[in-house]
Amino acid sequence: MAVVGAGIVGMSAAHFLSRAGWQVTVYDTGVVASGATGSADGAVSVASKKPGPLMTLAVAAVKFYEHLIATGVLVDEYLPRSTFVVASDQEELAVLERHAGELEAADVAIRMLKGAALTQVIGAAAPSAIAAAEVQGEGHAVGYRVAERLRQLGGFAIRRNCRVSGFESTNGRITGLVTEHGTEPADAVLLATGIGSTHFLADAGLIRPRKGQLIVTDRAGADTPHFPGPLMSCRYLVSKGSQPAGAVAPSRSLGLVIDPLRTGQFLIGGSREDRDDRESADADVVAALLRDAVALSPSLAQLRVIRVFAGLRAATRDGMPIVGRVSGADNLWIATGFEGDGICLGPMMGRLCQQMICGEPPAQDISALDSARFGLTLATAA
Amino acid sequence: MSDSQTFLFDGVSVPCTGRETIAAALDRAGIRMLGTGQGDCAGRYFCGIGACQACLVSVDGARMEACLTPARSGLQVERIAPVSS
Amino acid sequence: MSGPEVLVIGGGPAGVSAALELARAGIDVTLCEQGPRLGGAIHRQPDDPTQSVHVPQSHKRRWQALSDALAGSTVKVLCRHMFAGIEATGAVLLEDRIHGRLVTRRPAALVLAMGAIERVAPVPGWQLPGVVTVGGLQVMMKSTGRAPDGDVLIAGSGPLLVALAAQMASLGNAPVAVLERSPRLVSLRVVASLLRAPAYLREAAGYLLTLVRSGTLPQRGVCVTAIAPKDGRLSVTVRDRAGRERRLLVDRVALHDGLLPNSNGTTTGQHGPFIVRAGDCREVLGGTAALADGRLGAQAVLAHLGQTAPANKGPAAIMARERQAQAALNTLFDYSGRDPAQLPDETVICRCEGRTLGQLRSMLSADDPVSAREIKLNGRFGMGSCQGRFCAEWVASFVASQRNGTPPQPSEIVGSRWPVKPVPISAFVTLPPSSPSE
Repeated sequence: MAVVGAGIVGMSAAHFLSRAGWQVTVYDTGVVASGATGSADGAVSVASKKPGPLMTLAVAAVKFYEHLIATGVLVDEYLPRSTFVVASDQEELAVLERHAGELEAADVAIRMLKGAALTQVIGAAAPSAIAAAEVQGEGHAVGYRVAERLRQLGGFAIRRNCRVSGFESTNGRITGLVTEHGTEPADAVLLATGIGSTHFLADAGLIRPRKGQLIVTDRAGADTPHFPGPLMSCRYLVSKGSQPAGAVAPSRSLGLVIDPLRTGQFLIGGSREDRDDRESADADVVAALLRDAVALSPSLAQLRVIRVFAGLRAATRDGMPIVGRVSGADNLWIATGFEGDGICLGPMMGRLCQQMICGEPPAQDISALDSARFGLTLATAA
Repeated sequence: MSDSQTFLFDGVSVPCTGRETIAAALDRAGIRMLGTGQGDCAGRYFCGIGACQACLVSVDGARMEACLTPARSGLQVERIAPVSS
Repeated sequence: MSGPEVLVIGGGPAGVSAALELARAGIDVTLCEQGPRLGGAIHRQPDDPTQSVHVPQSHKRRWQALSDALAGSTVKVLCRHMFAGIEATGAVLLEDRIHGRLVTRRPAALVLAMGAIERVAPVPGWQLPGVVTVGGLQVMMKSTGRAPDGDVLIAGSGPLLVALAAQMASLGNAPVAVLERSPRLVSLRVVASLLRAPAYLREAAGYLLTLVRSGTLPQRGVCVTAIAPKDGRLSVTVRDRAGRERRLLVDRVALHDGLLPNSNGTTTGQHGPFIVRAGDCREVLGGTAALADGRLGAQAVLAHLGQTAPANKGPAAIMARERQAQAALNTLFDYSGRDPAQLPDETVICRCEGRTLGQLRSMLSADDPVSAREIKLNGRFGMGSCQGRFCAEWVASFVASQRNGTPPQPSEIVGSRWPVKPVPISAFVTLPPSSPSE
């Protein structure tokens, strides 16, 4: 079994496939977690989601993280905690209440915080905050740490810096991977290549890069006010909801989340930009995010930015991931297009891919993600 | 050299000339431990050129390298005790 | 003045020399210095002009000439302005410490003349308060005009050890000992090579004479193997050439194992300015070379801007001479540090994150050739505030010594992202938003 892509989806699939008896090799152009997995915010969260199949899967994915901790697959790579969506004016409050209602309808536990309860629970919130919805039962996982844990557990081989450029096939079945270091035999292939999937697919425009920029601060002092969990600005939901149906999305939008990390540092994000200059962050976006962050939590002004980075999410044309077969080969599967949900969905998707490939009934309904909706075919070059 | 001025370091008055850096004034006062770091890596004066970041202190609430920041009267300088991982 | 702006970062001899050369050619030059005064590490000016450290006459004359020229030039000087890097759209970020704000510039060219940073080979206890770099102690001494107080041990390798020791002795507090790791003695061959750069010989002779008088000539072939806190002081274990160990109880330990360019991975992006490095920031050759290299850097900028610089072979000849002299000098020293196999697990490698050699070893125990990026992200080596400046080289060399495969490069630990140093959020939020059209 060849898994192409050593991100969180590929590493999780390799883990479960190897436990199911496959002899697995993971190939990556770079190293482990060097794509979106290594530059993600790590939200294992449904807080900003709309009801629908993706929210249902996200709820299940949160439970799957708990299952992985309970069974010892993960040790401390997943931190359960609530997300706090904060409203700072009446317009935001109206959106927040509607959104909280939708989440509750999807069986997500919500606690509304106002007045004294708000300041008591979220010591770090600005006085301008008027309400917050505590979205309970979710958590945080650092993508590269999950991938590292799965690497340590082993059971499969990893080929770093080994780009797969195409396949060798006989009678409609892939028999080998063409790599820059020669051809490697394979009985089955799973593509978990994120933004790199474009190379393998005939429909080159199906998956587009959506850049995100993130900021890391130095460690908070012991006197920094309390952050019970990530604070998400409700303005993000307002701007999401205010776009008329069918309107062209802006080329750049900011959705503020201030995430207190276990190290004592903060991860502040993020942007969604339709561009692909992945290595670079620009001062304009970083300054805008920081202005919003300080407005939501003034005590952050005394910290320093020690790192900024950008990553590319793999966004599909309809905003839903793609999981299933690729026509052109009987033994080729794909799991890609997770955009901003890869860390949340990744481990469960690894399990579902294993079930799909082994012909077992999937533990979750993933028909909404089926690759058949795009009629995927292999690029002729691949 | 005359110590015409003083600043506060964790609430204790430290004399300074008005020309020297915070690091120099603290060193003259015999203060070597400048903060709490990760593990047993306490804050301290080290490279003198702002590169190592080991002498970071809070100066009137802002984090600054003691080796690059002039000491002057009335400053409130504090050790930083970061939350540990 | 109109025309392209050139930004020079670093107010030492290389930066000042580059700025002057550009200004003479009619270029609009701004010189940024992170500290409150120009001079750099080598020409660090005293806080109080009446209290200065003894420095060689040649150094004094050199800086006086640069200062005078600068005063009569069109160079704009910004002190307490720190270079924070070049962001995606090509803007140079400067942190203005005077006003607590971040400002952007879009110069046609950027001269990086940020000098060198010191190497300190890790030994157990190097992270303790009271342990400083030799250059760090010297900079403080030059600024305050006072020798550091207490019992001071100087150790490691390089000519800077002797310079600090002699300057301390002149100010009335000679170190308790100077320990030079290299056992090699000055040979006639080295002296002969240095005859073409006699300033080194004069300087060295002056320092050594001072140390003979104070009885603190360097002990060669001796190194520090561990430092531990004891009764509010530092207990230092030292080992001589024969492997004999002894302990010294001191107040401070100054360590130094050579110098590296302080180039911190800044690269020209797609939209960034033309970048030139000059002085120790490009190649560590000392102050005389920095002066010449500043002029060469300026000439490269002028050529880039389409100005024909006057043909002048002087700076290049000086560089060649200084490169030879430094190479000869370096044969006397040993910058290798201790063999990592000999260091105990508790040795701190990454001070910012408090990460030890044992933690690094545990990441390498598998036969899987884990990459530098994975070591950095999962082991947190080089992830702290100094951004790997003091640990990247050691992490890379330890990994290379303990596993097969391609040796990782220090640059993979340091990276090339901005900010090149931490920037206060309070300063960042002052950045005016750019026009939405961008």
